[in-house]
Amino acid sequence: MTLLDAGSGWQATGPAGMPEPPGSDEIAAGSAAARPLREAWRMFAGNPLALVGLAILAGIVVMTIIGPYLYPVDPFDIVGAPLTPPGEGGLLFGSDYLGRDMLAGIIHGGRASLTVGGFAAIITMAIGISIGALAGFYGGWADRVLMRVTEFFQVLPPLLLAMVLVTLFSPTLTTITLSIGVVSWTNVARLTRAEFLKIRSLDYVLAGRAVGARDRRLIWRVILPNALPPLVVAAALSVGVAILFESGLSFLGLGDPNVMSWGMMIGQNKQVMLDAWWPTTIPGAAIFAAVLSISLIGDGLNDALNPRLRRR
Amino acid sequence: MLDGLTRRQFIEISACAMAAPAIGWPNEAAAAAAPAGGTLVVAAAAGSPRHFNSAVQSGIATGMPAAQIFASPLRFDDQWRPHPYLAERWELAPDGMSLTLHLVKGATFHDGQPITSADVAYSILTIRDNHPFKTMFAPVKQVDTPDPATAVIRLTQPHPALLICMSPPLCPILPKHVFDNGHDIKTNPANLAPIGSGPFKFVEYKPGDHITLEKYDRFFLPGRPKLDRIIYRIISDPSAIVVGLEQGETNFLPFAVSTRDLTRLAKKKTLGVTAQGYQGFGPINWLAFNLLRKPLDDKRVRKAIYHAIDRDFITKKLLLGFAQEATGPIVPSSPFYSAAVDPYAFDLKRANALLDEAGLKPDARGKRFSLTVDYLPIGGPEEQQNIAEYLKPQLKKVGIDVQVRSAPDFPTWAQRISNWDFDMTMDQVFNWGDPVVGVHRTYLTSNIRKGVIWSNTQNYRNPQVDQLLDEAAVTLDEQKRKALYAQFQKIVVDDAPIAWINIVPYNSVYDRRLGNLPTTIWGALSPMDDLYWKESHA
Repeated sequence: MTLLDAGSGWQATGPAGMPEPPGSDEIAAGSAAARPLREAWRMFAGNPLALVGLAILAGIVVMTIIGPYLYPVDPFDIVGAPLTPPGEGGLLFGSDYLGRDMLAGIIHGGRASLTVGGFAAIITMAIGISIGALAGFYGGWADRVLMRVTEFFQVLPPLLLAMVLVTLFSPTLTTITLSIGVVSWTNVARLTRAEFLKIRSLDYVLAGRAVGARDRRLIWRVILPNALPPLVVAAALSVGVAILFESGLSFLGLGDPNVMSWGMMIGQNKQVMLDAWWPTTIPGAAIFAAVLSISLIGDGLNDALNPRLRRR
Repeated sequence: MLDGLTRRQFIEISACAMAAPAIGWPNEAAAAAAPAGGTLVVAAAAGSPRHFNSAVQSGIATGMPAAQIFASPLRFDDQWRPHPYLAERWELAPDGMSLTLHLVKGATFHDGQPITSADVAYSILTIRDNHPFKTMFAPVKQVDTPDPATAVIRLTQPHPALLICMSPPLCPILPKHVFDNGHDIKTNPANLAPIGSGPFKFVEYKPGDHITLEKYDRFFLPGRPKLDRIIYRIISDPSAIVVGLEQGETNFLPFAVSTRDLTRLAKKKTLGVTAQGYQGFGPINWLAFNLLRKPLDDKRVRKAIYHAIDRDFITKKLLLGFAQEATGPIVPSSPFYSAAVDPYAFDLKRANALLDEAGLKPDARGKRFSLTVDYLPIGGPEEQQNIAEYLKPQLKKVGIDVQVRSAPDFPTWAQRISNWDFDMTMDQVFNWGDPVVGVHRTYLTSNIRKGVIWSNTQNYRNPQVDQLLDEAAVTLDEQKRKALYAQFQKIVVDDAPIAWINIVPYNSVYDRRLGNLPTTIWGALSPMDDLYWKESHA
C-alpha cells in the first residue's frame, strides 16, 4: 500500500493538478493538495464575473433560508385584491391572479426552486458519474451496453420525458426532482466516460494497477479525482438547468400545486400576462438571476480548474 | 353520463356564427328578405370531433356541425317554445303516453332520398339504445309508422321532457338506408361521411384542421339556408383564437368562456359579444363532495365548507363580474329553477361554529383536518383550477388544510372521480334543457354507478329526493312538476352534497355584420339556416 499511496501523492500534483483523494495517510500529500485548491480559488477570485455570480447566489440562498422568518406571510394566503400592482396596498411586489402576496411567493418559492435544483443536480451527477465511470473504465461490452442506454435516453426529448414521468407519478416535489434527475444525466455520463477513457491509460493509473489496486480503488480514488474539474463545472451548470426544468414543468401546469415555486408562479399567472406584467415578470427575473449566477459561477470554476489556463 | 371525449370536447369547444341583437323566433319576414351567400368561418376551440353522428355522441364538437347536417323533428326558440322543423305538426296524447309527428312533405336527405317516418323511427330507437343520455328516450317503447309522413312515439310512462328531446342537439334524423348497413352504429363508416337531412351537407373533414359544410340546395325550408358555406376551423390555442377573431379570419366563436379574452375582444368595434344562446345547456361550475369520506359524510361539515366560500369574490373578482352565482342544482335560466332555498351566505363564523358542532376541534396550530381538492384539467384555468387554488387559503381560514391535486389530463381526473377516489372536486356539469336529462343523474341513488363520470359520484343518497325526482320524471303538468322540483331543490341544497359555485359564463363572440345569430336555447347547436351576412365581405 505504501507504493500505491506514494502513487496517489504524486498524482495529486500530477497532470491534472487535482487535490489529494481523501483517505491518504501521507501528510506531505495533504499539504500538496492544498496548493491547487488555493490556486483555483485565486483564479476564481480574480474573475469579477464569477464573484458577482457567487454574490447573487449567496444572496438568493440567504433570502430563501432566513426570508420566511423575516417575512412570515403564507404565500398561499389571499392578502388583497387580485392583481394589485407592486407598491400598492402595502404589497412590495403586488399580488397575483388570486390576490396572493407576490413577495411571499418569491421568498418561499425560491426555497422550492433551489431545493429542486440542488437535489436534481445531485441525482443527475450520481447517475451520470456512475454510468460514465463504469463505461469508461471497463470499456468493451460494458461500455457498449451503457452507452446504448445513454443514447436511448439522449434521443428522448428531456422535457417531454420529464412530463411523462411527472404525469405517471403525479406531480409532487419529490417526483419532479427525481424526473429531472432521471432525464438530464446523459451529458454527465458521456463527459465522465471521456475523462475516464483518457485517464485510465495514463502512467499513474497503470502504476496503481501494477501494484494490484482493485478496480474500485482505481475508479474512485485514482481516476475520478483527476476527472473532477469538468464534472464540477457540469454539476454547477446542472443546478441551473434543473431550476429551469422545474420552472418549465410548472409553467406547463405539471408543478406541485401545494408548494409555491417560481415556475409555478409564472405558470399560474400566465393567464393574466396580457393584463398585468408583474405576476410573471418578477418570478421570471428571480429565475433569471438564479440561473445566471449559477452559470457565472460555472464559468468561473471552469477557468479556475483548467490547468492550461492557469499556466498562462 | 357523457363519456370522456365528449365532455372534453364539450368544454373545449367553441365555434360558429351568431348575430347581433336578440332576435325573437322565426323571423320569417326578415329571413326571406335577407341577402344570401357568403361563407361563415367558425372558430372551433373544442378540438376535433370523433365523428358527426350526434345520435350516438354527445358534446359540442360533434353537436355543432351535426346540428347543421341533420334536421330534428322540432326546434326551439329563445323562450323554450317548440316550433315545427322536420315535423310540421305534432300532437301529444292527453294521457301523455304517445307523441304523433307529422312530417313535412317533400323533405329529402342529401342523397335525394325522401325523409320518411321509417327514418324517424330508426333514429329515435338508435338514440334510445346508444346515446349517453339514457334518460332521454328510456321510456320509448316503440315508434309506429302508420304512413310515410306520420310517426307515433309510444311510451311506457309519461315523459314530460319528450318535446325538448326532439330538439336539434338531441334528436338528429338519420337516413336509415345509409346508417342501417350492418356496421355497429358507434363505429359506422357513415358517421365520418354523413348523409344528412339538415340545411348544410357535409363536404370535408380534416381532423385537427377544419370541417367544411356546404348549402344543401333542396333543403325542405324554402329560401334557406342563406349561407353558401360553413367552415369550422379547429383551433386549440386560446391566443390564436383571440387573434383570429381580431383579424377577421374567423367570424364566430361560440362557447367562449375566458372572461379576460372576452374583455379584450369586446373592445374591438367589429365584434360583438352576447351571452344569449346558452339557456338550454345550463352549465354549472361546482365543488362536489365525496360523501363516502369522513368527515364529508357529515352534513354540517359540507355546510361549513359552503359557508366558507365567498362566491361574491369568485364571481366579481376572479371571474370579473361575468359569472352569476349558482344557488342550487338547477340553473336560474331553467323554467324549473326555484329561488326558495336557504342560501349559503359567506359566513366564516357560522362555518367555524358548524365545524365545532361536528366535533372537529382545531389543534394547537388551528388545523382541524385535511382534504384534497381535484379539478377538471380542461377548458382553461379560470373556472376550475383557479377556484381550486382559491379554496386552499380560503378554507384554511376555518382550519381546513386543503391539498390541491392536479391531474395532467382528462382521463386521469375522470378515473379518480368516477371511481370515488377523491375528497372534493371542482367540476362543470350541464343541465341539458330538462332536469330529467341533465339534473337527475347527479342526485339519484339509482345512478350511483362506479366508473361512470357525471353520474352520482358524490354517493348522495336521500330516499325523499329519489321519490321527488321519480315523480317529476313522469308528471306532465308543468306547474306540478315545478312544485316537485322546488321541493327537490330545497332539500338537496340543505343536504349540500355539492357546493354550487357559479353559472359558467358562456358567451359568443361574433362579427357584427352577421344577422340572425343562433340565440335560441341551443345556440350554436341549433340549425343556422337563417344566419346571413348583412353586407358582402371579402
